[in-house]
Amino acid sequence: MTRSSVHALVVARPVIQGLTVLNLIYAAGLAALLIWSFFIQGWPDRPLGHFASEHPQIGNGLRAIVVIGFVGALIVHAILRRLRAMIDSVRSGDPFIHENALRLTAIAWSVLVLEVLRLFVTAIASAVWEPGRLGGFSFAPWLAVLLLFVLSGVFAHGARMRADLEGTV
Amino acid sequence: MAITVRLDELLHARRMTLTELAARVDLTLANLSILKTGKAKAVRFSTLEAICAALECQPGDLLAFDPTLPAEE
Repeated sequence: MTRSSVHALVVARPVIQGLTVLNLIYAAGLAALLIWSFFIQGWPDRPLGHFASEHPQIGNGLRAIVVIGFVGALIVHAILRRLRAMIDSVRSGDPFIHENALRLTAIAWSVLVLEVLRLFVTAIASAVWEPGRLGGFSFAPWLAVLLLFVLSGVFAHGARMRADLEGTV
Repeated sequence: MAITVRLDELLHARRMTLTELAARVDLTLANLSILKTGKAKAVRFSTLEAICAALECQPGDLLAFDPTLPAEE
């Protein structure tokens, strides 16, 4: 293991813990925003002014985006938990295990779902207040999903090789 | 596993214990026990060479194929 990868592992755990806390705060904020939107008088005209009157579906659109954001935060929480478990397995000296292959597969599916959710948000925004504009597509996250599926396959193969090696005398 | 290890018979014929063999071939007793009990999934050529040299036998004396036993999944 190179020095930079050792440093990355040392730094990764507290960073993930920090991100987990930030993500939970973000999820709680979104939940509060959604609940608050049902109790605020004159929603959405009062807080958004004439922008809301120009776009009649903006209230429902914003609520839908907040719900999608909340679901996204739950998925990110699951990703961070799995990532932390993987880092712990590396630190304990046994990363090539079947559980890590399953974790990576789950992370790959989670990132895929997050990207689909992002497309939904773009579509809602386009339909509600930016008609005809469908920007924001990026190739990189889809490449990351592909990379994660490949990595999970590599881990599964590594776990099998490790099991074989354990029975070698 | 249809491959059987006849280390027990070879040791008995040479009046040698597994601990003595472990010391001669520079392998751990745990690893030799895995081999003796048929729990090993693979044997390195270097291990085979060391055991054959210590027991003065051929690899074929140590390993046998028994078609009546179920194959490994």
